[in-house]
Amino acid sequence: MGKLTDKLKPQEAEISSASMADIAFLLIIFFMVTTVFSATKGLDFKLPKDEDKTAQAETQEAIFFKVLEDGSFLMDGRPATVDEILPYIGPKLERWPDKPIIIYTRPDAPYKAMVRIYDELIKATEPPDKGGLGLAKTPNISIPTQSEVNDYIALFGYNPFEQQ
Amino acid sequence: MAFKKRLTEIKAFIPTASMADIAFLLIIFFMVTTTFDVDRTRVNLPKSQMRIEVPKGSAYVVIYKEPGTENYGYKFSDGKQMSTPVASLTDLEAQVSAVAAVDPTRPFVIKAEADTPYRIIDTVMDIFRRAGVEEIVMLTFQRTKDDTE
Repeated sequence: MGKLTDKLKPQEAEISSASMADIAFLLIIFFMVTTVFSATKGLDFKLPKDEDKTAQAETQEAIFFKVLEDGSFLMDGRPATVDEILPYIGPKLERWPDKPIIIYTRPDAPYKAMVRIYDELIKATEPPDKGGLGLAKTPNISIPTQSEVNDYIALFGYNPFEQQ
Repeated sequence: MAFKKRLTEIKAFIPTASMADIAFLLIIFFMVTTTFDVDRTRVNLPKSQMRIEVPKGSAYVVIYKEPGTENYGYKFSDGKQMSTPVASLTDLEAQVSAVAAVDPTRPFVIKAEADTPYRIIDTVMDIFRRAGVEEIVMLTFQRTKDDTE
């Protein structure tokens, strides 16, 4: 009964799909591994390495930011807002890209106010359509610490940053 | 047919050939996705627009506000292990100097509350300066165009 129909049965072709799941998982893991998601980011700055290099620039030749206790700040003695920073320093930095910029923060001022100004200054290297000045070099920013100020007072008898 | 059909036992079995496959896949998956956070303190960071990725292995100085009080607590990690509480800024100086003496190129991250009085940050910066730290990263949240402060 079975012998005749066996010869006439068409040959069934099949692709074994047993390893399909394996390959699928391997590809998932491969792409999970090669895709990088940044978890933490922040503002970066480097401290000057030389001890001999005087970080004290004259306040007249430097652009001077003084951050006050309520979070507002003075730019070269004048009260200013964050939007006024780049238009003000743009021409000065174009004339002298290494012009020192000093950010002096009062001890009771909030940290975020200093970060805000630093962030705005770093934007100078961004292209103008992204809100920057398109400068080639990051500005020369120095942030004096209270103990450096105290050393200055010990030498010269006054706080250079509280004169304006 | 005339004779009785034989009752045969139906043998059931689960093919275990792919068990090893699945085991290795899961091992590799968890090896790949496990990340170690050096510090998990919840801190309200200041916001900035310009940001860089924190280099792997950076040391962390954490300045957080103790919940419900106006006091600030400190934690420190050398980048290789979880952050541990630090009793005072003088203790912090000892730990920072120890790490920077061995590796001055290691970046140090300041993870501080946005409203921290600047005197604390100033002291920490001074500790970094005296210890010879070369690179500092101030950890921030991303500032979007809607942020007004």
